[in-house]
Amino acid sequence: MRRILTFYIFLISLLFAACTETVSDAKQEAAQPQIYPDYVGVTIPVNIAPLNFSMADEQALCIDAVITDNHGNSLHSQGEAVDFDLDDWHTLLGQNRGDSLNITVSAKYDDGWHTYSPFSIYVSLDSIDYGICYRLIEPGYEVWSKMGIYERDLSTFDERPLIENTQFEGCVNCHSFNRGNPADMSLHIRGPHGATLLRQNGGPFTAYNTKTDQTLGLCVYPYWHPSGRYVAYSTNATSQLFHNAHPNRIEVFDTASDLQVYDVEKNELLLSPLLKQDSVFETFPVFSPDGRSLYFCAAMGHPLELKGSGNGLDSLHYSLCRIDFDPATGTFGNQVDTIVCASASSTWGDRKGASVSFPRPSYDGRFLCYTLSDYGQFSIWHHEADLWLLDLATGESRPMTEANSPDTESFHNWSTNSRWLVLSSRRDDGLYTRPYFCHVDTAGVVTKAFMLPQRNPRRFYRDRFFSFNVPDFIIAPTHFDGRQASRLINDESRKDFGVRQQ
Amino acid sequence: MKHIHLLYTLLFGVAVLLFFGMAYPHHLHYQEQYQLFLFDSTYVWDIIRLPGGIADLLGRFCTQFFLFAWVGALIIALLLSAVQLLTLRLISVSGNGAGVRAVFHGLSFVPSFLLWLFLLDENALLGGVWAVLLTLLALWLFVKLPKGWVRRIVIIVTIPILYWMVGPNWNGSHYHRYPTVFPTLLYAAWLTAVALPLLLSIKRKVKSEKNLSKQSDRGRAASAVPASASTGRRQQILHFSLFTFTFIIMMMLVWKNANFKAEKVMQYDFMACHQQWNRILQTVNAEKPNNQIGVTVQNLALGMRGMLSERLFDYHQNGLLGLLPDVERDATSPMPTAEAFYQLGMIYVAQRTVFEAQESILDFQKSGRCYKRLAQTNLILGSYEVARKYLTALQKTLFYRDWANETLPLLGNEEAIAKHPEYGRLRQFVCSDDYYFSDHVTSDMLERLFLCNTENRLAFEYLKAYYMLTGDRENYAKLLLHLQKLKQ
Repeated sequence: MRRILTFYIFLISLLFAACTETVSDAKQEAAQPQIYPDYVGVTIPVNIAPLNFSMADEQALCIDAVITDNHGNSLHSQGEAVDFDLDDWHTLLGQNRGDSLNITVSAKYDDGWHTYSPFSIYVSLDSIDYGICYRLIEPGYEVWSKMGIYERDLSTFDERPLIENTQFEGCVNCHSFNRGNPADMSLHIRGPHGATLLRQNGGPFTAYNTKTDQTLGLCVYPYWHPSGRYVAYSTNATSQLFHNAHPNRIEVFDTASDLQVYDVEKNELLLSPLLKQDSVFETFPVFSPDGRSLYFCAAMGHPLELKGSGNGLDSLHYSLCRIDFDPATGTFGNQVDTIVCASASSTWGDRKGASVSFPRPSYDGRFLCYTLSDYGQFSIWHHEADLWLLDLATGESRPMTEANSPDTESFHNWSTNSRWLVLSSRRDDGLYTRPYFCHVDTAGVVTKAFMLPQRNPRRFYRDRFFSFNVPDFIIAPTHFDGRQASRLINDESRKDFGVRQQ
Repeated sequence: MKHIHLLYTLLFGVAVLLFFGMAYPHHLHYQEQYQLFLFDSTYVWDIIRLPGGIADLLGRFCTQFFLFAWVGALIIALLLSAVQLLTLRLISVSGNGAGVRAVFHGLSFVPSFLLWLFLLDENALLGGVWAVLLTLLALWLFVKLPKGWVRRIVIIVTIPILYWMVGPNWNGSHYHRYPTVFPTLLYAAWLTAVALPLLLSIKRKVKSEKNLSKQSDRGRAASAVPASASTGRRQQILHFSLFTFTFIIMMMLVWKNANFKAEKVMQYDFMACHQQWNRILQTVNAEKPNNQIGVTVQNLALGMRGMLSERLFDYHQNGLLGLLPDVERDATSPMPTAEAFYQLGMIYVAQRTVFEAQESILDFQKSGRCYKRLAQTNLILGSYEVARKYLTALQKTLFYRDWANETLPLLGNEEAIAKHPEYGRLRQFVCSDDYYFSDHVTSDMLERLFLCNTENRLAFEYLKAYYMLTGDRENYAKLLLHLQKLKQ
């Protein structure tokens, strides 16, 4: 018995000792290491979870990383992937706020150890919000399988489901918070138990039927007014077409769409003829940080033509527009201004075409970030889609080259201090959307984007067959009661929206 | 003759084995292909962390062996036999009269038969059977324990553990897509398995109370008369009669409720999946297909053997729906069509069809067959990182691992892919002429496909068949003329 025990202890020791050895006789490499995820030279918030990584190639038997700062502190990890101690990591970052950290990486291959030229990461003075909230869903076509809304603490690796579609029959989408504050929250349920769940000031959720006889259909794409009194929605008649031979597999497009603002206190949808024109497709409404403007995307539409073969889809170009909004009276202005014109070809350089989607103003009112694709409004399936930054003071737009990649960049949101942007990108494998973060300073300088940290990123992202959909910052845990919400969803009673025409 | 009941259990087990092995094998294949089991800690944890997870995990583990129908049939036979034996065991503990035991021996087969009926539904999961079995095991543990505080404490501790092991399998939540579906048969099986011993136990208590009062009148000696040889024979006859009666009634129910039409459809799908073109033709030659999937598979097999246009009307046809049916939103019907799309070189369409079929799986599981095909389509289209994702997952399976290991080195190796007999050929057939595809294949699509690569013999066969089925003589003639010109 003792022999067996000794043998097993030896085996376990071997297992742990498999990759805990001193880096010796290492060959010095002039190049910086190719690591996964690519964290070389990134700027990170002081409260982010450890940036664990492995070698980008899968031939490495072991990886060793030493982080040093300018005060003589260091942090070490070795293994299949480096996995820094959570507390030590946060202590080190706290000691180096506004400073750089140097990382020396060594990797063991069949021919022995290789040590690479060190690289730096910069710890920003700007912290990031508590966490992010997103939907996990397979990047599919029409049919949905398991999905859910989840929240993730950005300073740890903890993820928690808010609600999953195993709790009711249907699908769930469009979670939305007021400047990251989960006290004001909106969530859509689609399917036989369709509803919009809405809560204000941390109160209980109410299930609404958002379709009225005066509007096109259900409310989608919510955005909260900073006061918490209003929520802007679009209503879209959406269709899909599928490419037979194109890397952009799917085209999602509207055959009609309008905008409306919901007054939570009066239970009224506020409508304006300027925002529900038959010849114009209006979508993606967002309030300005002062709450006195409504930005949105609009395109001249040809509904009948689109409904058929999809001909003319590539001529559908959305511009960024704006209309005044008076929060005191809940009334709209009398004119629509074009802020970024899709047909202004001089702005877009050598692009085939330009179409604006997902406008998101920073909460400090300095910038507006939007996605630019060749045409249409559903940019996640467009490999050419990139992020652009509009300086609201000068009115000039520029591509966020530092954060963009050759593949898709699409949905995005600002942190509440307006210094961090969470963006959806398919750069990792061309299909599965992952969240990345970049820093944008007050002058509009953008840093290289880094992937949402995981304990073992390669294993995590390879094993997970979900896209991170609609990532949005939250300033605190949502305290969302999924059981109560599913009871509300499964209960048939719905509160109807009232309507007020302007 | 003491263990005669084991013979009956054996007979029952053999019946189950033969039924699933011979009459229902493709239902097992169907289940396997939509229940991917991974040897991965994250996968296992995601299952067992939920109430009912242990039963679910055991069910899924067993289902992976359904790839081999006889192994699957054996597993089901063993599980159902175990349920019967445990029910009988509990009855034996509860009942004391030989006649009563004989009656209940026949009835001890009822839960297993109900589970058998439950498993006739292709969407009924083996986790349900495990849930019943685990419950019976727990009950057996309870009755084995000595009466008193120990038993009470064990019961109090075990009930929440048991709920965690088998719990939600009772509310049918394994049908995630339709959570309101109520697995009546599963409930009935569980209830009878639990209720029979309970009823007998109550009956024994009532009887023993009566006996006590009688004993006070007549004395104890009278009740201790040993059973005679003729009584033993009568018991055996009663045993046999009750077993035969239950068996016949239940078998009639099983046969009546078995969906042999679906079995036939699944057989065609299975043969198409494994590209058994000759076997398909043999099957349709023996009996013409009576369903749309059968006709689709038959035409694909004819096409793969280069006989589609030549012998189209020698076989049963179902118009265009039998050639390339519209893509439906379920897990089963699109798969043979997806196979045709794949073989035709319509790789994007095949990919979408397979992806959607996988997304349609009722309990939100993944499919080994779909993962394999998605890896192949991504490989052909050059999306190597996505293909790697599927292949890495398949490396964690028991039966797809070898294939995944063989395929992984192809990723990014353009030369090896070009030389590959399947992927190299299909890559040549992929048409770069883009158009929007919804759910319906038109002659224009097939024409474009053929004109993109006139070496694509299958596209030619399908196009010709399309014109023949629609009676489009003009385009048929044009096609032949075009082909003639190409030959010149």
